[in-house]
Amino acid sequence: MRKLSVRTFAFGSTIAVVSYLVLVPLFMLLYASVKSTADKLPFESTVTTISNYTDVLTSPSTLPIFFNTFFFTAGSLAVGLPLAILMAWLLERTAMPARRWIAALILVPMTIPSLLSAIAWIQLLDPRIGLVNVALRSVLGLSGDTGPFDIYSLYGMCFVQGLRLVPSAFLMIAASFRAMDPSLEEQSAMAGRGVAQTTLRITLPIMRPALLAALIYYIIVVIESFDIPGLLGFTARIRVLSTAIYWATHSEVGLPDYGLASALGAMVLALALLLMWIYQRLTAHQERFATITGKGYRPRQINLGAWTAPATALCVFYLALAVALPFLMLIWTSVQPFYAIPSAESVARASFAAYINIWQDSSVLRALWNTTVLALVTAAATIFLAVLVSWFVVRRGKTADGLSHYLATVSFLPQCVPSIVIGLALIFVYVRFPIPIYGTLWIIALAMTTRYLAYSSRAMTSALMQVHGELEEASQMARAPWARTLQRVTVPLLAPAMINVFFWVAVHAMQELSMALMLYNPETVVVSTMIWSMWQNGRTADAAVLGVILILLSAMLLLGGLAVSYLRRSADSWQAPE
Amino acid sequence: MISVRDLAKSFAGARGEVRALRGVSFEVGKGELFTLLGPSGCGKTTTLRCIAGLEQPRSGEILIDDRPVFNAAEGTFVAPERRNIGMVFQSYAIWPHMTVFQNVAYPLASDFSRAQIAERVEQILGRLGLGSLADRLAPNLSGGQQQRVALARALVAQPEVLLLDEPLSNLDAKLREQMRFELKALQESFGITTVYVTHDQEEAMALSDRIALMHDGALLEVGTPADLYLRPAHRITADFLGTSNFVPTTVESAGSLAGAEVLLDSPLGKFIARRSIEWRPGSASELFFRPENVDLLDDSAAHGLNRGSGVVERATFLGNAADVVLRCGDIAVRVRAHPGRTPSVGQRVGFSVAAQSCIVFPV
Repeated sequence: MRKLSVRTFAFGSTIAVVSYLVLVPLFMLLYASVKSTADKLPFESTVTTISNYTDVLTSPSTLPIFFNTFFFTAGSLAVGLPLAILMAWLLERTAMPARRWIAALILVPMTIPSLLSAIAWIQLLDPRIGLVNVALRSVLGLSGDTGPFDIYSLYGMCFVQGLRLVPSAFLMIAASFRAMDPSLEEQSAMAGRGVAQTTLRITLPIMRPALLAALIYYIIVVIESFDIPGLLGFTARIRVLSTAIYWATHSEVGLPDYGLASALGAMVLALALLLMWIYQRLTAHQERFATITGKGYRPRQINLGAWTAPATALCVFYLALAVALPFLMLIWTSVQPFYAIPSAESVARASFAAYINIWQDSSVLRALWNTTVLALVTAAATIFLAVLVSWFVVRRGKTADGLSHYLATVSFLPQCVPSIVIGLALIFVYVRFPIPIYGTLWIIALAMTTRYLAYSSRAMTSALMQVHGELEEASQMARAPWARTLQRVTVPLLAPAMINVFFWVAVHAMQELSMALMLYNPETVVVSTMIWSMWQNGRTADAAVLGVILILLSAMLLLGGLAVSYLRRSADSWQAPE
Repeated sequence: MISVRDLAKSFAGARGEVRALRGVSFEVGKGELFTLLGPSGCGKTTTLRCIAGLEQPRSGEILIDDRPVFNAAEGTFVAPERRNIGMVFQSYAIWPHMTVFQNVAYPLASDFSRAQIAERVEQILGRLGLGSLADRLAPNLSGGQQQRVALARALVAQPEVLLLDEPLSNLDAKLREQMRFELKALQESFGITTVYVTHDQEEAMALSDRIALMHDGALLEVGTPADLYLRPAHRITADFLGTSNFVPTTVESAGSLAGAEVLLDSPLGKFIARRSIEWRPGSASELFFRPENVDLLDDSAAHGLNRGSGVVERATFLGNAADVVLRCGDIAVRVRAHPGRTPSVGQRVGFSVAAQSCIVFPV
């Protein structure tokens, strides 16, 4: 009925771009899984076969992958989730001293890339030379050169991955605690139940859907994770699904097996899709339970009494384990010319020479430049798409043609496509594609934009839902066409959320390893892939130096984000808290 | 000035299609203040948004100053920004990231020079008593000031039509009453054709030249405030406006009486009422009259046409009047009595209602 307006054109383009970004790689992955063979890319093969799948499921070399993945997932969750739930409860519901500090510090591990926690924990728990192992051996008087702990094992992987889950799982679960109407708990207290009874019989059952959703969500996160199993499982050749896909295409002996990789990719994708479907169902259901009262009054805070000291100790112990120990270890490694446990001798040897010498390697500068470009381009592209997607999802949602719903679904799909699978699929799309981006930095930016589109468009969608539609309609009635309304009214009002999402994406893009690893070459090396290859080549000190630099860069970026939002807030007094 | 013809629209609801508008038609004259009145969900806001162009009806036609801005059959749809309409939203929708001046200047931006814009904005701000607030940010304004800024923004480009969507509902009671008169005075001085949406009948009656009562997606009846209040053609209108008494009746005779009157038999006694349609004797009907048209009498005078009696069940003193409820068997009759002559509870009293205040509706 309308003429082709700017708005219609923008809507069509957004749908086309999002569909292209998300669906084409997935289609190519499935296509490759029935086309490629051990030594051929999908386009080179003429036969269609399901042998890739049957091989994966029958070959004795791939079957352990499934067991390892299962064990790794279950183990990591067993370490991470109870800790996150306990800490969320302690920080949200009890009068534990120093709650504020702990709640802030708990988020610090998020600035340390998993790649670097893995490296730090190898330094700490290597069976032979790991600092903790050496110390334990001398303290406990154990004989032998190894043990008691072995980081190169499934247990080691679970431990490190589990610790890493805590900050983000804590955020998610703490939010559910906050969303719960505290009067439900107070009612139980009025009915004469103690803290333990209330927690077990009221709090946890009410939160069960939220906890179950968190469980499912973190199953996907662990299945997707690459850095920790990649590094820790390297030496002992313990492969999980994500790392098996990498090693199938980057075999140390022989040619890449794209058939095996794509079949594994398709299987992990199917699994993640199934889990995400369950997650969506659970969270849709969850809203019925968790009601936000918005009264702004905090629930009664439980006095822990005699348990205060152990609870505080537990939190401090976690912070030491997840933040202090790995970070100090990285710094220690970076100032040592070769690996040595701390002693009078090695302390005397410590120098910052490596921080200066590293610049002699010209590729370091290139990697830093590439990383910066990648982070900024990815963040800008993602936020641009996310704003358009969210606008059409929120403001066009009432239209009955289902296109807005399609846009919401497809833009969220990458949330359950593991990064390594996106990397793999993009190889298939662009290796022969007329658009010559294979082997450039842009293909990595494209992969990351696709991956982070899911989070960003969700975040922008909920931000836009807070912006009253009448503010935009008033602009229309004031004679502004769509594009002008978007530019003059919507974007300024969304700016705080856009700033947050921009920095979130930039930090993630900066630290991301698996997509970059699948798609980089010596020209397009980034900091994360460089640390990975330095580590594989035994350049531990250089890897640690670059690691510390990466952490500092991430921290700077995050602080920059905070500073920008702070400046905006003080500039615009209208943003005062309610 | 505004012609709305046969507007129909449906929304996709949780349980299938919801018919939001079912064939709404009306005309608004030049300079008239026309109110769409009705309970929430009756389709009044949807109608207003269709005129604005913010919603697209499924069928029908809308003309503004003889120019079709929407015509389903011909596929005409003029975008809201090109309809030359000013609108005030329920939330006021003052952009919080702009000053008052920027908000008001917004509709002018593209067609005027800087100096012209400043002049126009200052002029309208002055006229609305906002002159000193030009540099304020919107959240630092009171509710009444925000309302005026929204009005200034809607009027600054001198539109042909002004649309007001419940503009007073976000104000506190006292301010609301004050703004009611200001709004009316302003509308008259601008002489701008206005469509006003409200669910508040008092507001509608105080402001409107004509009121259209909407119910369930349809336009029930249109008339001046006095028409609708004093001579409602529909039971729903009578019920929605003011307080009402309804008494089940049977038509006894319709032909033999003088003029447009009808004789009714009711549990209260026999009543003569005004008639707007033809009646056949014996048909079930309903008698309607308002509490303020009931006169209280001595119990002894309770016999005869248009008279009845009952026991005082409740008498509430309201200051300028008393709200009395009479119990007459199964029927309770509400009476607005003089505060100084309020009967006491339990007392049996008579009452009368003049025939011209009695209206009969079909059931």
